[in-house]
Amino acid sequence: MSDFLFRKIISIILSVSLLCSLAGCTPAGDAEAESVVTPDDIIVVGFSQLGAESDWRSANTESMKSVFTKENGYELIFEDAQQKQTNQITAIRSFIQRDVDYIVLAPVTETGWDTVLSEAKEAGIPVIIVDRQVEVSDDSLFTCWVGSDFELEGRKVCMWMSKYFAKNGVNPSDVHIVDIQGTLGSTAQIGRTKGFDHMASLYGWDVVTHEVGDFTKSKAKEAMFAILRNYDNVNVVYCENDNEALGVIEVLEASGRKCGSNIKDGETMVVSFDGINKQAVSSLVAGQISCIGECNPLHGPRVESVIRKLRSGQEPYKYQYVNEKIYTNSNAVPSIMLGGKEYGVTVLNESDLYEWPY
Amino acid sequence: MANNNKSGSGFFGKLVHNQIIIPLAALLLLIVFNLIFDPSFFVITPKTNSAGNPVLSGYLITILDYGSELAILAIGMTLVTAASGGQDISVGATIAICGSALLRVLCGTNSRPETLQAPIIVGFLVACVVGMMCGAFNGILVAYFKIQPMVATLILFTAGRSIAAWINNNELPIVPDPKFAYFGGFIPGIPVPAPVFIAVVCIIVIFLVLKFTTLGLYTQAVGINPSSSRLNGLNPELVKFISFVILGLCVAVAALIKTSRLSTINYSVIAKDIEMDAILAVALGGNPLGGGKFNMWASIIGAYVIQFLTTTLYKFKVSSDALSAYKAVVVIVLVVFSAPTVREFIGSFFKKHSAKKGVA
Amino acid sequence: MKTKKRNISDTTLLLTITIVVFFAMYIGAMIFQGKGFLKLQTFFNILNANAALILMACGLTLVMIIGSIDISVGGVAALVSMCCAVYLDRNVLNPGENLTPGNVFVSMLIALGIGLAYGLVQGYLIAYLDIQPFIVSLAGMFFARGMTTIVHTNPFNVENPAFNELKEPVRVYFLGTVNKKGNLVPAKIEIGVFVALLIVLVLFFVLRYSKLGRSFYAVGGNKTSALMLGINVKKTKFLAHLMCGILAGIGGYVYFLHVGSGAASHASGAEMNAIASSIIGGTMLTGGVGNIIGTLFGVLSLATIQSIVSSAGFDQAWWTGITVAAMLCLFLVVQSIVIARKKKSLKKQA
Repeated sequence: MSDFLFRKIISIILSVSLLCSLAGCTPAGDAEAESVVTPDDIIVVGFSQLGAESDWRSANTESMKSVFTKENGYELIFEDAQQKQTNQITAIRSFIQRDVDYIVLAPVTETGWDTVLSEAKEAGIPVIIVDRQVEVSDDSLFTCWVGSDFELEGRKVCMWMSKYFAKNGVNPSDVHIVDIQGTLGSTAQIGRTKGFDHMASLYGWDVVTHEVGDFTKSKAKEAMFAILRNYDNVNVVYCENDNEALGVIEVLEASGRKCGSNIKDGETMVVSFDGINKQAVSSLVAGQISCIGECNPLHGPRVESVIRKLRSGQEPYKYQYVNEKIYTNSNAVPSIMLGGKEYGVTVLNESDLYEWPY
Repeated sequence: MANNNKSGSGFFGKLVHNQIIIPLAALLLLIVFNLIFDPSFFVITPKTNSAGNPVLSGYLITILDYGSELAILAIGMTLVTAASGGQDISVGATIAICGSALLRVLCGTNSRPETLQAPIIVGFLVACVVGMMCGAFNGILVAYFKIQPMVATLILFTAGRSIAAWINNNELPIVPDPKFAYFGGFIPGIPVPAPVFIAVVCIIVIFLVLKFTTLGLYTQAVGINPSSSRLNGLNPELVKFISFVILGLCVAVAALIKTSRLSTINYSVIAKDIEMDAILAVALGGNPLGGGKFNMWASIIGAYVIQFLTTTLYKFKVSSDALSAYKAVVVIVLVVFSAPTVREFIGSFFKKHSAKKGVA
Repeated sequence: MKTKKRNISDTTLLLTITIVVFFAMYIGAMIFQGKGFLKLQTFFNILNANAALILMACGLTLVMIIGSIDISVGGVAALVSMCCAVYLDRNVLNPGENLTPGNVFVSMLIALGIGLAYGLVQGYLIAYLDIQPFIVSLAGMFFARGMTTIVHTNPFNVENPAFNELKEPVRVYFLGTVNKKGNLVPAKIEIGVFVALLIVLVLFFVLRYSKLGRSFYAVGGNKTSALMLGINVKKTKFLAHLMCGILAGIGGYVYFLHVGSGAASHASGAEMNAIASSIIGGTMLTGGVGNIIGTLFGVLSLATIQSIVSSAGFDQAWWTGITVAAMLCLFLVVQSIVIARKKKSLKKQA
């Protein structure tokens, strides 16, 4: 009996709620004008970040958050996709529904963005890509890209190594090098691997193997562990980011090796990228890491300047590369030449550590 | 369950129906396999690590080392399985929570401290309390709200890694003190990995508990028939609750080892899929997953067999992602052969066979 | 007779709770958050993103009604995506050879075949060999995930004209809205949504009116009495798992249509989401109680709370996990209280 009453109440609630939802849906266009809470002068930016897997990523997120604040006249809608492209697609669709002014996308993979980016284009929302690149059939689907030239980063570090070896009289065929790769398919991995493969074959180094380290310390430890089991002649480890390098150093030291630049005396050389992680930078100063190719994560101000340009009606450059440094701990190699351009090498010491910006 | 089958007489029959035979047979199989394909698997070599301390290295050491967490978890999981007739699928996520709490205490609010903010033991005790609280949460849902264990623990499974990230504000703290790395690595001067000792201590403790308390008996009684154990004056809810709290404690110990191995934590990766391995260890030990009787030795051996399998596959260059496919095949073969219907069939087959030939 | 009546009223009670909660949440979001939730497309987005989950949750509802479980559905979806992706875009395995792209229709058959194979094997092991469903599907999940990486390791997006056309959402212009830049944004619905809703409808009628559907409830409610009623318990169990496997195959294809890529990490955690939505939808793991419409609303509730959380400014990813778990916890406790009270009142009547 009470069941009957209950059911009646439920059916009333249901029909009312159905009506409400219908009413809520149809006049959406008209209700818009009143329901918009944000005043026109506040710029709403939707940022789809791919995850929080490394220190680089966290620094990147922080940089965006510190620029797009209320004080600066922005409202930032931040979505962490936890490494899943589907989450990013969902996030972009929700940005479109929430009528943001600009979409900033740090894509997890390069491909598969055509549909959702064309939806954004239809809605007239400019899309700014940061960090990794996207591969789309039509370049006009995104406004511009801001990020690093990862292949150049890879080449620079390899160039430094070859210069260093040449100076210390190490025969290229005595260089037994492994590549601990980042997350497969990411722009950073593709670029740094490409740079590595190119230079390694150019100089005739013995490339022992490639293993995947997923840009994380734990995966890199696992990979390095497996490498040491199978190959004991490895004397150079090329890590595609700092977190990997830290894991690799731990495994190397635990197995009784010494990390350092002097591979002639049996030390194992570790080179790395990013230069964000303070621990990695202090390892560089301490000599455990020989060289770090900088990868600058502070894209917030760069993206903001793009948005300023767009608002004033200017056309920003389609591809905006960031100038990046090479860090090392000795002045054995003062500078390197690559593609007709000279790049200076920055030597870090203790005092730099105290003022490290991250 | 399988022990009191009457059909299996004769040597083979008894063998087939003994519970501990399953993990032992699997272990034997793996050993023979490795002996044939690469006997160097069993070589143990002494080395010195960077700190100049002697360490042992070799695949067998790796198995003992990395099997420790699994064995510790298997202890708790066996009790939970026996008492509640279900499994806790949240252990991996709870390891993330405990590990995160541990690091939070050790590192304070700064994720890159210069020195420890609290003694390691305090951090470990906090982790134990957190682990037991998680266990208690699961236990309350299972015992008092009568929710199936798998579903009740699904809650922490879903939320655990998120809670872990929340505890440390999604930062990845790094413990500065090298002493913290001892628990997951080597204690200077002792060539055997420290996790092995931790696992041994846990195993000794649980056997003393099982021997000198009625925990084991009560757990089995509750698992076999809750209502009749109630009639006998037991409190089935309390027993189930306690089994979950014990598992929580085991999880905290495993979390200490896991975080110590890296001196840091990665919320989404730490102890990933370990719940599956722990449940497999219990199943491989021949314990009925529906609750009731259990054999702690069999579970612990099961845990090391799982690690043996993992290490063997790694050695044969199976990538860590493809590993699960091979494990699955092994599991299916094992459960099919330990299924009551199939065992019955094999038992009667051997019986017929031996009767025909007249050989025992 | 009496038990049956009780089961059905349990089903309706839990179903109504779910539906009310869903509407309450959605209307609450419209009132308090406005913006996106006032647009119909937000609802379609939820459907688009969760069509595959609806299908997988339906499969789980079936096996949960008979008192079993299947945690392999997410793995099957990943395997289906990868196999279909490799078939449709053959150049991935043979780079530089420029092979003709695969046939879309055949890829659907591949998806169905994988689902069918999973259903057959798991169903046989569970129903006829009497092995714990949890262990069987656990191994099934492991196998599917591992197999996916063996088929192809790296994630990639499918390049296949026919397939890319199929995965384009249907544009409904009259349901579209004009945004503040003055552009008309048409409503977009993916094909998978229609498939999912159609299957929900079919399963609803099967469970409600067919002999098979009723035998599902009977087996889940009480095995002995089901046996006495002359129901072939083993066959019923087998059929439930078979259907779940096929639904996972179809769900995998719908997922594949949504993402358009193959990757080993696809649909990770989908099995847990599917179980959670079934439970929120009023299915009980003890068996005998459950409803497909409830499952549909379970998925929608789960997705709605996720999008509420993310648009409410809780920008950290962990909040989603915590709210979903809190919601699951709430529903489980409500369920157990409802059942306890029912039992008490039954006892009183007796």
